[in-house]
Amino acid sequence: MKDLVKVRNIGISAHIDSGKTTLTERILYFTKRIHTVHEVRGKDGVGATMDSMELERERGITIASAATYCNWNGHSINIIDTPGHVDFTIEVERALRVLDGAVLVLCSVGGVQSQSITVNRQMTRYRVPRIAFINKCDRTGANPQRVIRQLRDKLSLNAVAIQLPIGLEADLRGVVDLVRMKAIYFEGANGDEIRETEIPANLRAAAEEQREIMLDAASMFSDELMEAMLEGSPSEEMICAAIRRGTLSLELTPVMMGSAYKNKGIQTMLDGVTDYLPAPLDVTNYALDLDQSEAEVAVIGDPQGPLLALAFKLEDGRYGQLTYLRTYQGTMKKGDFIVNARTGKKIKVGRLVRMHSDQMEDIDVSGAGDIVALFGVDCATGDTFTDGTLNYSMSSMHVPNPVISLAIKPVDNKAQISMSKALSRFTKEDPTFKTFVDVETNETIISGMGELHLEVYVERMKREYSAVVEVGAPQVAYRETITQRGDFNYTHKKQTGGAGQFGRVAGFVEPLEEGEYEFVDKIVGGSIPREFIGSCDKGFQKAKVKGSLIGAPITRVRCVINDGAAHAVDSSDIAFQQAAIGAFREGYLKAKPVIMEPIMKVAVEGPTEFQGAVMGSINQRRGIVIGTTEEENYTVIEAEVPLSEMFGYSTYLRSMTQGKAEFTMEFAAYRSVPKSVSEQLIAEAKKEKEKK
Amino acid sequence: MSKQELIAKNPIRQLNFGVESASGSRMGLVMARAGLGKTAMLVQIALDSLLNGRQVVHVGIGQSLEKTRIWYDDIFKDIVAGCKICNPYAIYDEIMRNRMIMTFKATAFTRSRLEERLNDLVYQNVIRPGCIVVDGYDFTVVAPETLSDLRELAQVMDVQIWFSAISHRGDERTSPEGVPAPCHEVADFFDTVVLLQPDVESAWVDLKIIKDNTGGASDRLQLDPITFMVKEGL
Repeated sequence: MKDLVKVRNIGISAHIDSGKTTLTERILYFTKRIHTVHEVRGKDGVGATMDSMELERERGITIASAATYCNWNGHSINIIDTPGHVDFTIEVERALRVLDGAVLVLCSVGGVQSQSITVNRQMTRYRVPRIAFINKCDRTGANPQRVIRQLRDKLSLNAVAIQLPIGLEADLRGVVDLVRMKAIYFEGANGDEIRETEIPANLRAAAEEQREIMLDAASMFSDELMEAMLEGSPSEEMICAAIRRGTLSLELTPVMMGSAYKNKGIQTMLDGVTDYLPAPLDVTNYALDLDQSEAEVAVIGDPQGPLLALAFKLEDGRYGQLTYLRTYQGTMKKGDFIVNARTGKKIKVGRLVRMHSDQMEDIDVSGAGDIVALFGVDCATGDTFTDGTLNYSMSSMHVPNPVISLAIKPVDNKAQISMSKALSRFTKEDPTFKTFVDVETNETIISGMGELHLEVYVERMKREYSAVVEVGAPQVAYRETITQRGDFNYTHKKQTGGAGQFGRVAGFVEPLEEGEYEFVDKIVGGSIPREFIGSCDKGFQKAKVKGSLIGAPITRVRCVINDGAAHAVDSSDIAFQQAAIGAFREGYLKAKPVIMEPIMKVAVEGPTEFQGAVMGSINQRRGIVIGTTEEENYTVIEAEVPLSEMFGYSTYLRSMTQGKAEFTMEFAAYRSVPKSVSEQLIAEAKKEKEKK
Repeated sequence: MSKQELIAKNPIRQLNFGVESASGSRMGLVMARAGLGKTAMLVQIALDSLLNGRQVVHVGIGQSLEKTRIWYDDIFKDIVAGCKICNPYAIYDEIMRNRMIMTFKATAFTRSRLEERLNDLVYQNVIRPGCIVVDGYDFTVVAPETLSDLRELAQVMDVQIWFSAISHRGDERTSPEGVPAPCHEVADFFDTVVLLQPDVESAWVDLKIIKDNTGGASDRLQLDPITFMVKEGL
């Protein structure tokens, strides 16, 4: 059994193209998990080890996070490689949920970009202590000090350099360790040979100055260090301990630097991971006690305690379903029986493996704090496993609702079968990816968090399942809502042969400020018998599935009933459901319904010279420019733009700015559409209806 | 309460150059020691302009966009909390469409850069400001020529520009009208200068108008020290 103090579960998160996949690759190389290095877009055609999916290799981006394991200085490190594109943030969020610490990778030229801000916000949400690694110091224009300033200004992190680069751009040779006050050079063909010397004279003054800043920041977390500083002799251990304490409390972010591509600074960064990032026992995780109305309970990472593990990722591999688990407490052995807390199903642990990207290593036992994978376990992402003695569930994860959908059609019968298999797998793997069959058009609809998100799944269907599909135009998920109170008093009466139907429902619908739907029963005197109150609720819920404007679901509505009538013989559950449906439709039309559309928070980054043109393009897309942040010759424009106007924006932006600007977007809110758009949508919906 | 009533009841009306006196460019200055509510005051002036249908550019120097945005959200909430206004969300939506926040690093802010940005906004039809508020401008290093330039810019664009400036307890220098340092030597460039001073008796912040060439502002105004909202004098 491993010593938990020597376990690190870390994530590597950052902006796309800041080189985190290359960094992970180098980590694996220096920890001797692999014996040669490949590039992400390598000339050798092999690709980086962590980009296990074919598609990722082709596009040079990381989509699904792969878990891997390595050893450094007697410590076991589990690494989750996380995607950099915002469309895949559910992957990032899932990874953060099971991690104890993270390395925030930044490009020394690009610095803190919009995706880094999103990732940082997520890390703060899950209270993940982090160290920063400024990568690509070998690139022209590298400026680590500027990146540190940005970490402070843009991410509000107490970022403090604990290293200084020796040379920059093409002259990058190594780093100065400000804790030990040594110069470290990475030599040999792959930077394997570490040479430690005194700090070069030309860097001495800068190193002294930066060390002072570092000590001042670290001493805030250790009285012992502060006293030692006054006496003039702080020891290495004292400084390390203070930095560690600051990092664990999320009040300090130590900054390291180097170049993964040039094999500089990786070994020292790994030292940083073991020295400053938390062990599983340093972090308090919480579970929900299902027997105590989901009360939060702290999990003690006791390896002898009852088992508690979370399935945070599913993958369909060559040998069947692979379930990635994080064990929070207890141990799990091959042959053990474990219980899925959601379904109550008992499962035998068959093959237990430790993952190294798409290769694996069989193990017999996994302890608290471990990240492992199981074969052939039927479960969904987010399921909790116990040994059966606990009825706990790990805290539920924040899952955003999909905002965009596509109709897909298999090209032939064979593709139809493969597509069903693929969709069933993807929906299990990714909670933000949903699919259903439109009953009216008989089309299969997939929905997700963005154009690229869906595009990747369509590609995966083709590559992994040989399911070729025709793709329709992307559709925005519109909603309908009401803007004022609308009264109703509706009688449902049917007496044409057989048993009659009778029910009268009176009341009103009104806008609901928060939440999707609310039903309020204000019936006094039993004008609607108690047994039919639930029927009214059911009827309203059925009615709100399709609004009368464009057939979109109705949200933010409160239905209040205050009067009605029943018949001793003809009233029934069905009759009152029908009456409620009719009542809702009556009230809905009086309540000034409007169409709402998803509005995206868009951040465009690029050289200042394009600011005017970018703002113009946002304006043309019915967007509202919230503001601009200008720094040197770089500007970030923040805006809110309807999703329906953002299709094809990346191509437009690229051509307008000669590829120098980029943008990210995430869902912000639903807002009503302008009158002209509303009229157009209604006309289109009418035309569609007539066609059918 | 309707939007018109909200405008009429807003005490800041006495200070802000309203629609009726909107013709021509103006320059205003809000001065106070740190933490007394200069930003809140500027945001209230901006909101009053927005409610009056004028577009606003908020220039934040050395401040983050998000923080500035939160100021607007909070102050608007405080304004509507005090009165039963119909459909505040629609009004806020309209306000958002007509407001634009620009943040600059202290070193990056110059008159020419501001003019360039404003021209961009007008040219791209994003916004044509009637009021600009500049928060965080460092008056300790400003040269009179720069303010003369900015005044000229206000005239060319026909806008009113409001600035905030920090005064310091230890610096006793003042202009003949009583405008404290560091703005005592550039007071002539401003049509209105307001000084925020804590009132020892009530713990409120007094809004002292030490210079006003516009003929408004007769009543005593104060700032609530908790919400930083401008109220009629107690």
